[in-house]
Amino acid sequence: MADKQKIIICPAAELPPGENKLVDLDGVQIAVFNVAGKLHAIRNECPHMGAPMLYGKVCGTMLPSNPHQYQYGCDNEIIRCPWHGWEFEMESGRSIYDRTKGSRLQTFEVHCEQESIVLYKKIPTVKG
Amino acid sequence: MSISPLTNQLNADDPHKSNKQTVIDCDVHPHVPSLDVLCPYMDETWQSRVGIGKFKPKVAKDGNIPADQFRVPTTRYQHSNGALRKDAYPPNGGPPASDPEYLAKHWLEPNHIANAILLGGNVLGLSAFHDPDLASAFGSAYNDWLYHEWVLKDPRYKLALVIAPQDPQQAVKEIERMGRKPGVVGIMMNNMNIPFGKRHFYPIYEIAEQYGLPVIVHPGAEAAGVYAPDQSVGPASYYIEWHSSFSLIVQRQIMSLVLEGVFERFPNLHFVFAEYGFTWLPNLMWRLDKNWKALRDEVPWVKRYPSEYIKEHISLTTQPIDEPKRPRDLIDMIQMVGADDMLMFSSDYPHWDNDNPQRIFSIFPPEMKRKILYENAKQVYKL
Repeated sequence: MADKQKIIICPAAELPPGENKLVDLDGVQIAVFNVAGKLHAIRNECPHMGAPMLYGKVCGTMLPSNPHQYQYGCDNEIIRCPWHGWEFEMESGRSIYDRTKGSRLQTFEVHCEQESIVLYKKIPTVKG
Repeated sequence: MSISPLTNQLNADDPHKSNKQTVIDCDVHPHVPSLDVLCPYMDETWQSRVGIGKFKPKVAKDGNIPADQFRVPTTRYQHSNGALRKDAYPPNGGPPASDPEYLAKHWLEPNHIANAILLGGNVLGLSAFHDPDLASAFGSAYNDWLYHEWVLKDPRYKLALVIAPQDPQQAVKEIERMGRKPGVVGIMMNNMNIPFGKRHFYPIYEIAEQYGLPVIVHPGAEAAGVYAPDQSVGPASYYIEWHSSFSLIVQRQIMSLVLEGVFERFPNLHFVFAEYGFTWLPNLMWRLDKNWKALRDEVPWVKRYPSEYIKEHISLTTQPIDEPKRPRDLIDMIQMVGADDMLMFSSDYPHWDNDNPQRIFSIFPPEMKRKILYENAKQVYKL
């Protein structure tokens, strides 16, 4: 099992609901979002064309439905790429168009601990 | 005109004729010897509206066609070499493909064709006419004529009922009247200026699905009349320009069918696009799949890749087959999108641009050839 590196991003007060923040972690950009009190951290790079996900719209989507009937759902659970509009589940990073085989957005573990936003980055175990 | 001895000799000596694969020809165009053959199938009201039988107008001595006889809209473009095969005139003097016995001898038998799907040669532009009642009545009489004079006389002929989609209610009645007769295998519904995914057509799709009849679309209405779509950017100037643009129209129709959710609403509905080509499939499938990844929330009823609906619900006939400089590119293209289950051989007899089933697939892998020449059509038309 991989170890985790704990990284303190900022005081919690600097990332209130509705805001986001860009973090550079050893050259890897991570976009951290506070969506109505729930924290998400995703790679700031769409797996499709590399668009900066920080600018993505956090939203819901139209659920699969019968022809010519719309049903909105998953409010605040989706982020859409600011370029081509691909939809990803913020929690899992999975594509909405194909949850099993579609492109996947890299996600990171993020929490609020003792008034700080804390990110956990996996450290690959070195075999030897 | 008698059967050309040269043609017979060519057929007999053709080295490719050693191919004995049984064939289903998905696009053969019978023609009426004259409109008067429709008289037994129309009452006097409609005979007078069409201008046949005792209502037939006198033709002026200079050969001018009088305006007081009904004409199905047809292409406005002239073919510099004639649009019908010169070798297809039957010995009785009628127009090509007007004699079922001669057509069988001239085309079916030398090419091992077990079944020919009849798409009425005189009614390809019926959907472009502006009076839905006259179009419907003419179509019904034409169906009766084909059924009695071709299908009942030779079971190798199978009928695609022509309908006038201008009036879906009358079209449904026509399908109810004829659709369950043995030998009726499909519904020919040609283009209008309403995309096929729109709700206008749903009564037709409902009964087509219920009766298990595929909807067949064939060029003929395009740019022929008030109801037919033009070629995307405006009218073509030339026959070659018009003829080459069919592939644009079919792509637009498939987009409409898939994105409006027609195949979600009618999960057993099947479409056949005859003579619209197929080498545009990679572009259509790839573009739709790509856009769907980005824009699926606008059409959430499209629950799978658009290309999956296309593969399951649409068949395409092969003629006029594209002829790339490297013939094998065609095989690569078919394999690229997995189209070998979608393609069905068609000749387009007696039209000028017909394909010879003994020749065009000579380099195809045997399994692919068997599917295209026979198996796929057998399944689609339940033969």
